[in-house]
Amino acid sequence: MLETLGLMGAGFLHALTPINILAMAASTAIGIIIGCLPGLSAAMGVALLLPMTFTMSADTGLIVLGGIYCGAIFGGSISAILIHTPGTPASAATAIEGYQMTLKGQAGRALATACYASFWGGLLSCISLYFFAPLLAQLAMQFKSPEYFWLSLFGLTIIAGVSSKSLLKGLMSGALGLVLSTIGADPLAGVPRFMFGQNSLYEGINTTCALIGLFSMSQALILAETAIKQRAKAAKVKDKLMIGREDIKRITPTILRSWIIGNVIGILPGAGASIACFMGYNSAQQFSKHKEEFGHGAIEGVAGSEAANNAVTGGSLIPMLTLGIPGESVTAVLMGGLIIQGLTPGPDLFVGETAKMTYTFFAGFVLIQFFMLAIGLIGCKGFAKISRLSDAILIPCIVVLCVVGSYAIRKNMIDVIVMMIFGGLGYFMRKFDLNTAAVVLALILGPIGERGLRRSLLLSGGDISILFSSVICWVLIALCVFGILSPILMNKMEARSIAKAGGDMDADEMFTEDHVDYDSDHIE
Amino acid sequence: MKMKKSDLIVVILMYVVCGFFGVLTTGLKPEAQTYPWFVICILFVLTTLYVIKMAVAAKKHGVESGFNEIFEGFLPKQFWPIVVMTVLYVIVMYYMGFYVATVLYLVGTLLYLKIPKWQILIILVVMFCLTYGAFTLFLKVKLPQGVWMKALLKLLK
Repeated sequence: MLETLGLMGAGFLHALTPINILAMAASTAIGIIIGCLPGLSAAMGVALLLPMTFTMSADTGLIVLGGIYCGAIFGGSISAILIHTPGTPASAATAIEGYQMTLKGQAGRALATACYASFWGGLLSCISLYFFAPLLAQLAMQFKSPEYFWLSLFGLTIIAGVSSKSLLKGLMSGALGLVLSTIGADPLAGVPRFMFGQNSLYEGINTTCALIGLFSMSQALILAETAIKQRAKAAKVKDKLMIGREDIKRITPTILRSWIIGNVIGILPGAGASIACFMGYNSAQQFSKHKEEFGHGAIEGVAGSEAANNAVTGGSLIPMLTLGIPGESVTAVLMGGLIIQGLTPGPDLFVGETAKMTYTFFAGFVLIQFFMLAIGLIGCKGFAKISRLSDAILIPCIVVLCVVGSYAIRKNMIDVIVMMIFGGLGYFMRKFDLNTAAVVLALILGPIGERGLRRSLLLSGGDISILFSSVICWVLIALCVFGILSPILMNKMEARSIAKAGGDMDADEMFTEDHVDYDSDHIE
Repeated sequence: MKMKKSDLIVVILMYVVCGFFGVLTTGLKPEAQTYPWFVICILFVLTTLYVIKMAVAAKKHGVESGFNEIFEGFLPKQFWPIVVMTVLYVIVMYYMGFYVATVLYLVGTLLYLKIPKWQILIILVVMFCLTYGAFTLFLKVKLPQGVWMKALLKLLK
């Protein structure tokens, strides 16, 4: 206990160095910009800026990625409130009440509420990060080779199932990733496999190049295929960017409820911020004393949605950091960031010298929430203008950053070609409803699973019963079954939440479509 | 739900991947074959299950194209030139270096996408500052100089 408190204190001291403070401020601002641009997602932003963290120390690099993650989740609310187009699916529910408040001339109040609720949602989610992560890490320390094999399968079933429209297609995507993960030297015997004469593939496909290709390059291609539309003009913020005591009193219970909802959703692998925002919104409506205001600009609606989606951030880091199981695409990309720094996600992060880095990241994550509040309140109006940036400008700029980013990893043109191939693959997969996150996860988890399986079989002399030899193995097998069945449950939960919230706000649709078919001048 | 013809492309791709890696696996040393066969079999079984699902859907509910939905709003005259320019960008970068290729690529795509010239100038300056500041100054990455540019610099020296 004392040791943990010591680590927590040291974490804050390390996080408060000038370079880390600068990293927090810059990454949070970049994250907000990415989030408020409709068409760009948090996962894409983190993937695109991943190469910039190579030369940073591990804690600073992770703080940068955390800042982009939190900033992007919050940033989506700015365009949701001012132009009725959520920057990310996580802010789809915010658009319902937020835009109504804007129409009533209360854009400043709505934005301030979003900032305040996001801050508290994110800050409170850090409590569970501090509390649950070390506990789960202790459990994970008991894992041996068979358990690691099942753990890798569990990770794949969860992400393949939940993030796909079709369960079978999701699993096929994961299996395709597993096949691609066999490229490179055999992890036990060192025999080269499928390297096509390229020595740079000896260590396998570079995960970062694959990430940049699958998430960022493919997004540029998606943007390039349809007509470039003029985005709606952002509404002018006429009132002050602040909320009064009465408002704070009114939204506090909503924020607390949404915190719990967001945290639980975040910890559950497979569920994400887009589900949490609708659940937070629904609970706000359910418990509100002003139900009649919902649909016409209810402040609790904005607070419920924003507190819930930001509460997901801390929770979603728990399975990724302790078990090496990212529950959604953003945490899969963040896991890539950990691996780049030479760290292995899992219980090792909580032992010895690495624990100091982990707790510095945790402290940084807490402080990022304060930066998010400050930058959000100060820069809202400016970010709103940026959110109108045309896709025609974004497309070539994203491509240039993808190319330079993938080259910078090993100063190797082969990596650029690998990124381009994965960009094409990502585009194809997204068009045909396959799951890009499952491929990335398979590239990360494939070698872990292979080592687990082959070491187990070596130890048992080829007897596969070793894979079923412990209670933890059976728990993980049960979780794999849950992983396959959970999408059905999650889809029902999301559909029910959306239906309750008003019916016509499909998070995915809102994320990809530009809602510019109305005249926004009347709200100026 | 009707069977989508577009899913046939997915199925064919998956079988091609299975076949391609299967053939390559036979050429590996025996100790390195086990795991690749294991994952290829998983992909094969899952793809076959999907084919069965498609067949059942076709029998019960009929068949639809699916392509209209996938390529709704698709503009080939915008998409393919951008793709070609992007591929050319990487090739030109190999010969002429990062900065020359980037300027050519940005100017080419932005003009093609009808961005006003004054905005193109601003974008060029911003992108140059960003890449030079972040990668060359901050990360100390030596960006590609280009085969031709290197030769030219040698000649000048």
